[in-house]
Amino acid sequence: MALKHLSELKQLLVDKPARRLVLAAAQDHNSLASVLMAAKDGFIEPVLVGDKEAIHNIAAENSFDLTGVRVVHEPDSEMAIEIAVRMVRSNQADILMKGKVGTSNLLKGVLNKEWGLRSGSLLSHFAIFEVAAYHKLIAVTDVAMNIAPNLQDKIAIVNNSVACLNKLGVDMPKVAVLGAVEMVSENMQATLDAALLSKMNQRDQIRNCLIDGPLAFDNAISLESARHKGIRSDVAGDTDLLLMPDIEVGNVLYKSLVFFAHAGVAAVILGATAPIVLTSRSDSDQAKYDSIVLAAAISRKD
Amino acid sequence: MITSLRQMADTVRSSGIKKKIAVAWAQDPNTVGSLHRAVSEGFAEAIMIGRREQILAACQETGADPQRFTLVESPDEKSAAELAVSVTRNGEADIVMKGLVGTDKFLRAVMDREKGLLPPKAVMSYVCAVEIPAYHKLLFITDTAVIPFPDLDQKVAMARYALEMAHSFGIEKPRIALIGASEKVSDHFPNTIDYSVMCKMAERGQIPDCIMDGPVDLFLACDPDSVRIKGVDTPLAGDADILLFPSLESCNPFYKGLMLFGGGELAGMICGTSKPVVLMSRSESELSKYYCVALACLMASHKS
Repeated sequence: MALKHLSELKQLLVDKPARRLVLAAAQDHNSLASVLMAAKDGFIEPVLVGDKEAIHNIAAENSFDLTGVRVVHEPDSEMAIEIAVRMVRSNQADILMKGKVGTSNLLKGVLNKEWGLRSGSLLSHFAIFEVAAYHKLIAVTDVAMNIAPNLQDKIAIVNNSVACLNKLGVDMPKVAVLGAVEMVSENMQATLDAALLSKMNQRDQIRNCLIDGPLAFDNAISLESARHKGIRSDVAGDTDLLLMPDIEVGNVLYKSLVFFAHAGVAAVILGATAPIVLTSRSDSDQAKYDSIVLAAAISRKD
Repeated sequence: MITSLRQMADTVRSSGIKKKIAVAWAQDPNTVGSLHRAVSEGFAEAIMIGRREQILAACQETGADPQRFTLVESPDEKSAAELAVSVTRNGEADIVMKGLVGTDKFLRAVMDREKGLLPPKAVMSYVCAVEIPAYHKLLFITDTAVIPFPDLDQKVAMARYALEMAHSFGIEKPRIALIGASEKVSDHFPNTIDYSVMCKMAERGQIPDCIMDGPVDLFLACDPDSVRIKGVDTPLAGDADILLFPSLESCNPFYKGLMLFGGGELAGMICGTSKPVVLMSRSESELSKYYCVALACLMASHKS
């Protein structure tokens, strides 16, 4: 099933029990607003870990309703992270979300060997976009987490993303491995990795998806461009997932989709034992809300 | 489509091809015998460079008529090799062939930067067409003799040369198998990485006019039953025309095994040079040498 709008993510949660989301260092206006909205819509059941007084002040100033919301008081943000992470680890919560703490501090908690959320896989960032010019949602990875993934990292990133897309109902996602050109060149490592990923997919070493690459961006998303170049590919023009060669390309693509193409976006961190919502202040309220819904949709255990 | 070495030689004989071969240090009975046959059949002319007296003796030994050859006196192996290469380079001959001269001396003359036959940056490699009773058609294999551990560029060149030869045999879209120990891609086997890259190059038309797959093992390449049993989705379908080996030390024993135990016969030549170069082991039979000469004439006619 291919989704066209981010609003359709909510349909995956209809008639499902609300997922439990724990917000670490919840005294954060940005994340609190979207968490409470998603709670009001019945998709999540939030637990706020943080400075109780500050949380109540923010709620009062912005007329947020905290009735029935569980608040765990912990003014120290590092301690708040530990409490939130331990809650997910002990199955008292299904989703971890970042509040008023630095990303690196939160991830340090996630990766803690004793009480963290390591699954054995690499952590990777997964973003899914609604772009008016494309016929379905398109996922992009990794635009924020892995700087210069090597081949093994790329395999892990693809596996994380494919499992996520499978949970969103995309059974055999079409994965385009991006390069500057569709030809293989020894001078461009991205094209060599792309060729390897394709072959490993053909040999069932990477499963549940269809991989082709290198593909230039236009070949990946437009069948016409691919035909024009004479590329025969089952992925070209119908890509579900774009695999980025590195973080620079990924980050610029992400931002150009948002700022130039006015794309809607939802994003999560994959590869831990539970989905992690890591929004930044510059994300729109809608993006934060959609990211929470995305996390809820893929944390389904039923 | 040519499916046997005899058919290949027949094709050359009946096609009106006539190529001039310069032979370095030609006083070897097998070489004289094979060339005499090629000249008598009308598809070759031979310039025999070496010790005149010894060439005449070899002619007598094999019953060859020295009148059919152009004899050129040369004092030693090195000058014979240099002269043979030089007349080929300047167009007096189309093909150069090694006689009794040592391989290293011969190749040094071929590879000489100023006076040789190897264009700058060209990859020199060796392709053999092998005929074995156990397989339903010819198998082209590379590289039995020149590149010990080919890197990606060299493997791509090897593939192109083997394809060029297979195309000359009338095989439009040869199936080329990149041979490994299994069909899986693994860091532990660097050749499987090169092979994956090559497959994508073939898919993108960077290595055109072929059906390429690899890594595959020999069974998946040449045995349809294995393909079915293993359930590997490979377009080779156990019907490979070309086997590209990961190293000289894997390819060389393969062909020697076929010669020794499999009743095989072969024709091979050096590729990548501006003109065909015939180089075989001194112990090779007269028939093999004759096939090599015919093959070089066929390839020379496709080049010109």
